[in-house]
Amino acid sequence: MAVMETIARAQRRSRRRETLSAYLFLSPALLIYLVFVIFPLIIVVYLMFHSYNVITPAEWNDYKNFIRVGLDSRIWTTMLNSFKYVILICPMHIVFSILLALAVNTIKNRTAVFAVRTILYFPTLLAVSSVALAWTFIFSTDFGILNWFLGFFGVERIPWLKSSTWAYVASMIFSLWKNVGLYFLYIYIGLQGVDKSVLEAAELDGAKPARKFFSITLPMISPTLFFVMITMMIGCIQIFDEPYILTGGGPGDSTRSFSQYIYQTAFVSQNYGYACVLAMMMLVIVLVITLVQFKGSAWVSYDRD
Amino acid sequence: MEQNSVVRFSQGVRKAIIVVLLAVFCAFMLIPLLWMVSTSLRSPLEAFTLPPAIIPTTFDLANYREVFNKVDFFAFIKNSLIVSVSATALQLLASSMAAFAFSRLRFPGRNVVFMMFLAALMIPGQVLSIPRFIIMSKAGLINNLLALILPAIFSAMSIFLLRQFMLTIPRSYDEAAYMDGATRVQCYGRIIVPMTKPAMMVMAMQTFVATWNDFYGPLIYINSVEKMTLPLGLTQLNGVLGTGNKAAVIAGVVLSLIPPLLFYCFGQRYLIEGISIGGLK
Repeated sequence: MAVMETIARAQRRSRRRETLSAYLFLSPALLIYLVFVIFPLIIVVYLMFHSYNVITPAEWNDYKNFIRVGLDSRIWTTMLNSFKYVILICPMHIVFSILLALAVNTIKNRTAVFAVRTILYFPTLLAVSSVALAWTFIFSTDFGILNWFLGFFGVERIPWLKSSTWAYVASMIFSLWKNVGLYFLYIYIGLQGVDKSVLEAAELDGAKPARKFFSITLPMISPTLFFVMITMMIGCIQIFDEPYILTGGGPGDSTRSFSQYIYQTAFVSQNYGYACVLAMMMLVIVLVITLVQFKGSAWVSYDRD
Repeated sequence: MEQNSVVRFSQGVRKAIIVVLLAVFCAFMLIPLLWMVSTSLRSPLEAFTLPPAIIPTTFDLANYREVFNKVDFFAFIKNSLIVSVSATALQLLASSMAAFAFSRLRFPGRNVVFMMFLAALMIPGQVLSIPRFIIMSKAGLINNLLALILPAIFSAMSIFLLRQFMLTIPRSYDEAAYMDGATRVQCYGRIIVPMTKPAMMVMAMQTFVATWNDFYGPLIYINSVEKMTLPLGLTQLNGVLGTGNKAAVIAGVVLSLIPPLLFYCFGQRYLIEGISIGGLK
């Protein structure tokens, strides 16, 4: 009896020790998580109901931040702009990255594949803000090489960054150059996993290339494609660096993203309470996209093994 | 026979079209980079004159001298290095320790804490940036590189991926170590961490590149030139030059391409591996 009790006590003690050491191992990550994730979230919720400018204490403001949301047309303008970026940029990346991956997949020479892969992927390692700075000169109306090049085809000088329409085209061109390499690589790696024998069997049955692509390749890379689409959309809806450097949000508010508006409200206008309400709207948008990911993963075929 | 050669011919044409289109696209990718290098090497006066320089023909270093005259470019690089190296090292340490606890130890609250960590993945950085700025200013960390390093130590993504990797290591290794009288710290440091090295390298590369390229963080927390990291420093250079010699900005951008080029040369295996892990999640 006494022996049993001693064993039980020893077991309890060793379990307590395991718990203690587990939390010691967790402590650095947990500490940073509490201070820089959980505590900030509490602050955000608190400030949503207050006026705050960092210097003077926060003041309860009778839901004024929420009332202001309804009256502030810049929210809808900038949010619409952010959605414009998503709608213009994301499908473009999907189409280009699939086409590029299919094209590179037909190349047999490994050195050529390596060269193309490097050329496509390298810009994705660069800082958006730095290369965007250089691209502002490429997009220059009078001295830019883009207009100089288009001049050979008789195209009139385009005010790439000065017009509210062309600025979106400029953002698309820049994003294609800067980011397509990453999405291309995801899909290219996904294509490597497609069973070659299935494609050959289809070919023997007389399937045309388009049919092979839509009936075999596309379903087989659908998990990768889905992952790429979601991460791309979540990244793109938060777009900040590109419009900040390329157009500064102008002309007017025509290219200003919602992220830029949050940044301005908080760090330029020092209106932290209201900025927290806007930030919370961003959180909701991202959560909705993530939720769609969970729901939508139904049409993705994961059973490729 | 005839039909066969028609098929072969049309296949050849298709192949040629693919190669030409790929070459055009690669030119689109390469020309901006070549233009940056060539323009930075032109003399400041004719840097932007048309026709533009795509292939460098002149080798004038005046623009590069201008970069170092106008701003302390080495300070930008030093600050970027301090932030990226310490954020990467500390993040790997904290994440591997947490992953060890999640994958190796049994304790109450394990699933709850893990789920809460993962939930952090869904929070946009912008939402956290406002309260983090307030925390940093109350802690006196504005204009301090620590403001860029400390939040980066926690990464739900790297904890998750390292845990997944550690789960594939058979438990018999730990049991053998404990049998020999090893402590948990020894098991972590001598057995699990060395075996997790490939995954750690992948995470290290990704964290390093991400912190190196971060623009938003420094934009918020750093307000003096001598504390700026490279991406913010370049916009500072652009501002300092005003309407002056803008070719120096291009020279600065070209200089900033060198570190990523080095990452790619030395770490491309890990970078590519990171992408294949991400895509197959």
